[in-house]
Amino acid sequence: MEQLMADLKKQIIEALNLKHLKPENIGDDQPLFGDGLGLDSIDALELIVLLQQNYKVKIDNPQDGPSIFRSVKSIAEYIRANQTA
Amino acid sequence: MANIFITGMGTISPQKTWGDAPLLSEVTEHNSERLACVEPDYTQWFDPRQLRRMSRVLKMGVAAGSMALKEANIAVPDAIITGTGYGCLEDTGIFLTKMVENNEEALNPTPFIQSTHNTIGSLIALMLQCQGYNQTYTQGAFSFENSLLDALMMLKDEPALKVLVGGVDEITDLSHTIQKRFGIFRQQPESNLNLFTTGKGAVNGEGATYFVLSGENTSDSAVGVEAVATFYKADEQTLKQGLDNLLRDANLKVSDIDFVLLGTSGDAGIDKTLLDYTVKMFPESSTGVFKHLSGEHPVASSFAFWLAAKMIQEQTIPSIVMLHDTGRKPKNVLIFNQYFGTHHSFILLKSCRASG
Repeated sequence: MEQLMADLKKQIIEALNLKHLKPENIGDDQPLFGDGLGLDSIDALELIVLLQQNYKVKIDNPQDGPSIFRSVKSIAEYIRANQTA
Repeated sequence: MANIFITGMGTISPQKTWGDAPLLSEVTEHNSERLACVEPDYTQWFDPRQLRRMSRVLKMGVAAGSMALKEANIAVPDAIITGTGYGCLEDTGIFLTKMVENNEEALNPTPFIQSTHNTIGSLIALMLQCQGYNQTYTQGAFSFENSLLDALMMLKDEPALKVLVGGVDEITDLSHTIQKRFGIFRQQPESNLNLFTTGKGAVNGEGATYFVLSGENTSDSAVGVEAVATFYKADEQTLKQGLDNLLRDANLKVSDIDFVLLGTSGDAGIDKTLLDYTVKMFPESSTGVFKHLSGEHPVASSFAFWLAAKMIQEQTIPSIVMLHDTGRKPKNVLIFNQYFGTHHSFILLKSCRASG
């Protein structure tokens, strides 16, 4: 889980071009949207693509998006729960 | 006397054309097949959160627009008009490449959204919260001229408006590789300063230039825009007739043109035709060139427009530009541009200061 979260932080920085951040600047439980990292709706679409491309994980129900993308930890938990072996 | 004025200018080009240095006091030599822009530090205009989604052409375009607005001392223009032949090539390339790589599934939204030609003008409007007229012209090598024509017509109707008008185009690795296959650009790296003495073919270029135009000379501008005209696949007689019409409308004679800024591109065959026309049409004028500084691209005339305006403003012609010097001061300056021998245009600028 720790390794997955570390990988996700690097991938999020790369995919969203957050050059002003380093992986250690993103807390495991830090909110990604709103007052947290300040991501927006276009970033949410980029994160959906990231999960699909890197982990072959799809989000079937768009209503689940806010809870899945709440933090790096919640994304990692979703990947673990939905990734086929 | 011209009644449409340039009240602000901003340009990012293969020369250091931003900052406070005198006009072309430092000429940048490129030993390359293409001339890439000398770019400023964009963090002076944007915070990192804004910059992270912006491709290079967007940064160049928005920064050039910001420079022009600052010089004109206005926060939000009444209209934004942009000319771009290629549009946002970097994001277009990313979008198309990803489409192939991902088998047309799971496409990244950012390069898709920002791949359209009108992204540059739209982004300027979004950042300024400008809800006025916003138009992008994408008509190849007439894109800037048509943007200018639109602005001039708008200002003839409503002189009080402040219109931001410009031209933006970029080179990417992908676009340059594709264009090189056409054989229109130089195949080997060469110094841009030797462009007109060696080789065959133009040198690829890029740039972003914006101007604020208004029918009211609120900033004591030194430069007025008199006319613009375009000609597609025109012969010498058609160009001569077009020039006569343009000068007649401006109440000028050919002998009133002090300086002609030529769009010779380094391709000896095409350049010879343009130079032959020039010698016949403008026997009394000084002449100069600019594409060794900007490179060839669809909106290279916007760089020429900036250069001509600067020369009129400062009443000097840099030696790097001069081709044939008659000693005349640049009061009436005509840009005579061409693009691969098929597109020709005239843009007439003039000094608005009584003393010259």
